Amino acid sequence: MDLVQLQRQLVDYRTSLYHEGFLDEQFTQLQSLQDENNPDFVVEVVSLFFEDSERLLNELSKALEQQVIDFKRMDAQVHQLKGSSSSIGAHRVQKLCIVFRNYCEAQNVEGCLKCLQQVKHEYGIIKTKLESMFQLEQQILNAGGSIPV
Amino acid sequence: MGVPVKNLTDRLGGINLYGGSLSLITMDGKLLLNGIPNTKFIYANGTIFLQFMWPNGFKNFPCSNDTPETYKLDIDGKEYNVRCSTVEISGVQSVYALALSHEGIASFVYSKISYSHIALVVTMVLLVIPLVFFVSSMITNAQREICLHDKLIKQMEATQQAERKSMNKSLALVGASHDIRAALAGITGFIDLCLANAAPGSDFETYLKQMSLCAQDLLGLLNSILDTSKIEAGMMNLEEQEFNLADLIEHVVDLYHPVGMIKGVDVVLDPCDGSIIKLSQVKGDRGKLVQILSNILSNAVKYTVEGHVCVRAWVGKPDFETKILASTRKGLGKYMSSLFSGKNDGNSDIKAVSAVRQNRDSVEIVFEVDDTGKGIPKEKQKSVFENYVQVKETAAGQVGTGLGLGIVQSLVRLMGGEIGIVDKEFGEKGTCFRFNVFLTAFEIQGDAMYGGTNSSFAIRNCSPKLGICTPSPKLDGSQVVLFMQNIERRRVSQKFLESLGISVLVVDHCHHFPSALKKIQSKLNYLLNSSRRSDMSCRSDISSSSSKEMPLSAMEGTEHKLPFNRRKDTPSFILLVIDVNAESFSELWRVVAEFRRGLHSTCCKVIWLDKPTSPCIDPKRLNPDDEILLQPFHGSRLHRVIKLLSEFGNLSQGLSSSSESSKHPYGKTRLRHTQCNDEIQGYVSSSNERYSKQGSSSPTLERTRGRLKSKRKNKDGAESSNGEKPLIGKRILIAEDNKMLSILAITTATQLGADVEHCENGNEAFELVCDGLKAQRNYDYILMDCEMLPMNGYEATRRIRIEEERYGVRIPIIALTAHTSGTEAMEAGMDAHLNKPLKTNELIEVIESIETKE
Repeated sequence: MDLVQLQRQLVDYRTSLYHEGFLDEQFTQLQSLQDENNPDFVVEVVSLFFEDSERLLNELSKALEQQVIDFKRMDAQVHQLKGSSSSIGAHRVQKLCIVFRNYCEAQNVEGCLKCLQQVKHEYGIIKTKLESMFQLEQQILNAGGSIPV
Repeated sequence: MGVPVKNLTDRLGGINLYGGSLSLITMDGKLLLNGIPNTKFIYANGTIFLQFMWPNGFKNFPCSNDTPETYKLDIDGKEYNVRCSTVEISGVQSVYALALSHEGIASFVYSKISYSHIALVVTMVLLVIPLVFFVSSMITNAQREICLHDKLIKQMEATQQAERKSMNKSLALVGASHDIRAALAGITGFIDLCLANAAPGSDFETYLKQMSLCAQDLLGLLNSILDTSKIEAGMMNLEEQEFNLADLIEHVVDLYHPVGMIKGVDVVLDPCDGSIIKLSQVKGDRGKLVQILSNILSNAVKYTVEGHVCVRAWVGKPDFETKILASTRKGLGKYMSSLFSGKNDGNSDIKAVSAVRQNRDSVEIVFEVDDTGKGIPKEKQKSVFENYVQVKETAAGQVGTGLGLGIVQSLVRLMGGEIGIVDKEFGEKGTCFRFNVFLTAFEIQGDAMYGGTNSSFAIRNCSPKLGICTPSPKLDGSQVVLFMQNIERRRVSQKFLESLGISVLVVDHCHHFPSALKKIQSKLNYLLNSSRRSDMSCRSDISSSSSKEMPLSAMEGTEHKLPFNRRKDTPSFILLVIDVNAESFSELWRVVAEFRRGLHSTCCKVIWLDKPTSPCIDPKRLNPDDEILLQPFHGSRLHRVIKLLSEFGNLSQGLSSSSESSKHPYGKTRLRHTQCNDEIQGYVSSSNERYSKQGSSSPTLERTRGRLKSKRKNKDGAESSNGEKPLIGKRILIAEDNKMLSILAITTATQLGADVEHCENGNEAFELVCDGLKAQRNYDYILMDCEMLPMNGYEATRRIRIEEERYGVRIPIIALTAHTSGTEAMEAGMDAHLNKPLKTNELIEVIESIETKE
């Protein structure tokens, strides 16, 4: 595929992510922080997010499997997840975290379980989408072009 | 008879009867031969009698019977057999009497037999003696062999045992290394901890620092010992890694350059024929190569007190042996080659060698490290490579375990090469180490064109650093004047530049410098004013170093300006490379300024080479076109200058087109040297790539770049820092526990030009602020996350406010909350609140509002 096509594809993809509510304008903020001194900032931060989130999701899953569920701790973890997802603009995940926190406060196990599933699901989606987007960016770079903003 | 009688008798008489005698008489009574003594023939009654005469009578014997008769007689005491008979000789009847001794001729034989017996015995003896001798010697040999064999076996066992012991030792050492290192790491760690708590400037701190240094030395020693044992234990393996060879060599040389400069020894990188530059990427063990080079270089610098250390590297031409080994891989080839190499046990060696060399892409790189130090006496040359040996006469006062060269030799051999000491010319002092290694070439660019040819630069399509991709016509009259103090560096640079076809004028002495410049000046003026003929006499003895090529290059220089080159109109370009060590800067500057005034239409550019450690060039006095480069002038810096020449059409670009490094050498000296190189590379290659990916994400570099960025003139203008750096110089503390949010906040603040510090909870924030208050260095703003454990933002703020009252200050604290309302924040004493995640514009707004409020 030639360069212009690739770039157009990237722009379309990005716009769609915004439209469908996967990303919010925080992601744009993130992109604005990337410059010459920090050329891979977005990728790095997003990778961090992936790592962090996976860790948190695992811990949440484990916590919900215990006999005695530590809601306080879970609450703190969901808070962290919420913070992380908000920092990169993972909008849907963030919204779900708010719901999750409510369930934790109410100590509603079923609600928590359901929410956890949803969060995992959304996280999976946003991860795939972001990875595809980065791949597209890489393709553009390899073809010698520059990423359109 | 048809035969004369005389002849017959003579003949018969001549017969040797071995002591016998013969008498002959014809039947007619004619005596033919009377050989038997004391006898006579008597003819009587038709028969012939032989009459023997004795002292007491005589006796007759009938002789003419037809049948032979034999009589025994005594003549003179000996017994004789006398035989008589008739015989017909040519038809003549005759009688003969033959007297032979008793036993016949056999007696003669018998008498002789003793001789033959003796002879036989002697022969036998003569035969037997050597045989016996031979056999005995064989026996002794065999015995000796058996004896030797025994000894050999015992010896071999002993050797094997010793080797095993040594191996076990090495293995044990390697195994123990983990523990030793752990212990050392523990010590270092705790020393660092203590240092953190030590009162700065106290004796305690000094002692701790010394301890830390000692621990580091220990670690270094341990590493060299362990390297040896690792190699011996066979655990040293080659790691394959891609890297750029020219960069690596330059990096190592630059590492030792400052050390050398302090001693007064110049460390020069000689690009030789430029073959290394063509070979951009290679694959091999980078770390070990660095180790080898560092070790040899450090030795060279250590043992040299004056002069220079020159590092050369070139690509070795494939030699006959490698061709054979490469082409005949199996069986016969190996056999033949082992024959030629003349070693019986060489087969295994050759196998190993060919394994390294057989790789089609394998390229041999030859290195030479040449110094002008004390030198190594011939007897000691072999032994320096043995472990733990140091040449004592020259080692006085020097430190070192003596392990280095042994390890180096093992490493070199591991990489398929060999290291040795090269004899220097008579009269030159110092040592020259030469070694070669085999690496895999990644991209070999074309064929090397060694030496300067007329057509073009010898370097084509090479690494982007040089960026000379197309051959340009013979330089349009550029002339380079080199003024350097160090002879070796001058020679090396001149050779390299000339090999590229650039004409070089070399000046060695400060006195000659002005006169040299004047001569060039006058030449140029003359040529520009006059027409065809150049005044060859004008090209007089421009004083320089003694090379004979020098006048030629000057002549080349003049020829450029001659119409032979069909360039009458374009002014030539003169590049002056001046080493500031040689003479005081003001003096040089004055001379150069004068020179400049004298030039009419020629462009002149000056590159000043300054010492990185003690810069002595006053940048204000420089012509805006001039550049300052840091010594040493080799490697990448040399290439940048050459690039300058070739693209001399872009005069305005200069060296600093995309780099501010040369304009601010002082700023650079504060950075670590390696960072410096990285940045130079990054900037040079940034013309090709948009983003330079080297080392840019480390926060320290970010911060320093942030500082530098703010100081330099904005040429690129791509960043948002187009004037907008509202937080320049402000110190901001960010308290946030979530990693991602903290990164976000830090980056945001940094981008706005602030100095950012980070902590993870309220406690730490409180402590940091207290420290700041005590030390009277306060933060300008604090960004406080409200939800933190164990102490949240509100609590921390409350405590900070209490503490602040004692000092009478109030630091603006901005709350970062996830809640929309900021009431709780305001109640706790914060000045403003923002929602997470942090946004740049919001931050700026809030800060501005705080500023305006105050």
